[in-house]
Amino acid sequence: MRDIIRMVIVLTIICGASGLTLSTVKQVTEEPREYSYLKFVKEPSIKAVLSGYDNDPVMDRVTLTVGKDDKGQPIQKQFFPAKSGGKVTTIAFDSSAIGYGGPISVMVGVNIDGSLAAVSIMSHSETPGLGARSTEPWFTAQFKGLSLGAVGLSSKGGKVDAISGASITSAAVVKAVRDAMELFPKVKDEVTKS
Amino acid sequence: MTEYILLLVSAIFVNNILLARYLGNCPFLGVSKSMDTAVGMGMAVIFVTTLAGVITWVVQFYLLDPFGLGYLRTIAFILVIAALVQFVEMFLQKSVPGLYRALGIFLPLITTNCAVLGVALININEKYDFMKTLVFSFASAVGFALALVLFAGIRERFALMKVPKPFEGTPLGLITAGLLSMSFLGFAGLVK
Amino acid sequence: MSLATEFTKGLWKEIPPFRLVLGLCPTLAVTTAAKNGIGMGLATTFVLVCSNILVSLLRKFIPSKVRIASYIVIIASFVVIVELAMQAYFYSLYQILGIFIPLIVVNCIVLGRAEAFASKNSVVYSVADGLGMGLGFTASLTVLGSIRELLGAGNLFGAHVLWSSFEPFTFMVKAPGAFVCLGFLLGFMNIIGTKK
Repeated sequence: MRDIIRMVIVLTIICGASGLTLSTVKQVTEEPREYSYLKFVKEPSIKAVLSGYDNDPVMDRVTLTVGKDDKGQPIQKQFFPAKSGGKVTTIAFDSSAIGYGGPISVMVGVNIDGSLAAVSIMSHSETPGLGARSTEPWFTAQFKGLSLGAVGLSSKGGKVDAISGASITSAAVVKAVRDAMELFPKVKDEVTKS
Repeated sequence: MTEYILLLVSAIFVNNILLARYLGNCPFLGVSKSMDTAVGMGMAVIFVTTLAGVITWVVQFYLLDPFGLGYLRTIAFILVIAALVQFVEMFLQKSVPGLYRALGIFLPLITTNCAVLGVALININEKYDFMKTLVFSFASAVGFALALVLFAGIRERFALMKVPKPFEGTPLGLITAGLLSMSFLGFAGLVK
Repeated sequence: MSLATEFTKGLWKEIPPFRLVLGLCPTLAVTTAAKNGIGMGLATTFVLVCSNILVSLLRKFIPSKVRIASYIVIIASFVVIVELAMQAYFYSLYQILGIFIPLIVVNCIVLGRAEAFASKNSVVYSVADGLGMGLGFTASLTVLGSIRELLGAGNLFGAHVLWSSFEPFTFMVKAPGAFVCLGFLLGFMNIIGTKK
């Protein structure tokens, strides 16, 4: 009986010590881990839509609550500001819309005046040769410099030519960009003041 | 249905857990000296891996995720596997003593078999749902057993051949495993 | 036994994974390049030395029946620490080593040394043993990684070393190459061993 008690006590102490140590290490490394993840996984896309800045957009990121999801939980979004001489010139953030094969994730860079700096497709499940062509430079380059009113398919009076044979994909990218640009004025002040 | 069959074929042949993913090598070289031990170990691994894959999946989704303890995955999984092997050992000892004796020391060794923990982790990384986890765990273990048995068959022949002394045993085993692995590469185009 | 012998045995006489045939899984998987070999080796060495220290410190307190379970918890804790640290400070290495970082917990070297040595010896000797084995393992991984990187991509530590018309043996960086390479290396180690 004594043996069993001793075994239980030893195991409990070891597990307890382990649990405490690990949760401490986790807390301590929380910041660097998030930063590393963003830098290695998201930064390439962020860099693709920003230019002419002298700060570290990942380091200067601002996290804001941008509404609620269908479960009533607040949705957090990260905004990466590009600054030049201390003033914010462009803000990069992601947006998404449902395409043909699933959600299309887009990184959008919006200038402080509300026009588009650039657009970059981060991930998608579209058909190769059709919707997948949305990642080709000619398609995303169309968005450069456009204001909200011009972001629409040319068939509907906008300035963006759809990919032939991939109207759903093209419309989805346009929607994602429009959603981002509509969100922009609501968050612009919060992001620039930090 | 087809996606499960594809998963099955790819896990057994194309991405063979041992010959392509490098998981499960330690016991591989130690156990494959004779056909009997190879078959016994293979069966044990199939049983433990399938159970472990499923149980760890449940632990991840009902215990770790809801409480934000994802970072404790490694330690939780290995404890589940160790406990599982312990129970299987006790169960076999009472119910099927013949099998228990046949497996001998290999049963507790399954705890440190990288293939078991590896498969459990892959299930989570690939974000498989319950059914896919079940199929993948089972299929991977079958792939392991298959490679093991094939290897044992070849090695039994080696025992009768003349081999340069420095290469006897493990080095020859490794080179053979390499050739076996190469032949499995031939399955590469099987699944799109 | 002296401190020096305990340390050096891991570097040649009982070097893992060649002499001490343990820890094969990561050896084959991560040695696609020399840098990966070093990274994995050092991570494993860290876990090995730390767990050896703790197991040795607690060797009189852990009842025999629960020793394996205790060792596993101790080793797994250090592995999680390594995982978290790599995610924070060495992210690119973390992405490359992938699933094999948590698999350090089932690396037979770590559990093997805890059971065979640290549980029976003092802390100082256990550190020597752990360091020796760990560094020996790191060296082996680096050598194997260098060979595979050199022949498989013409690089060494990422720098282009071989002449530009060199046609790399891509076979070397894939699964079969790993097995064959390790097998030949082992064979050569045996030859050198018997000649001594």
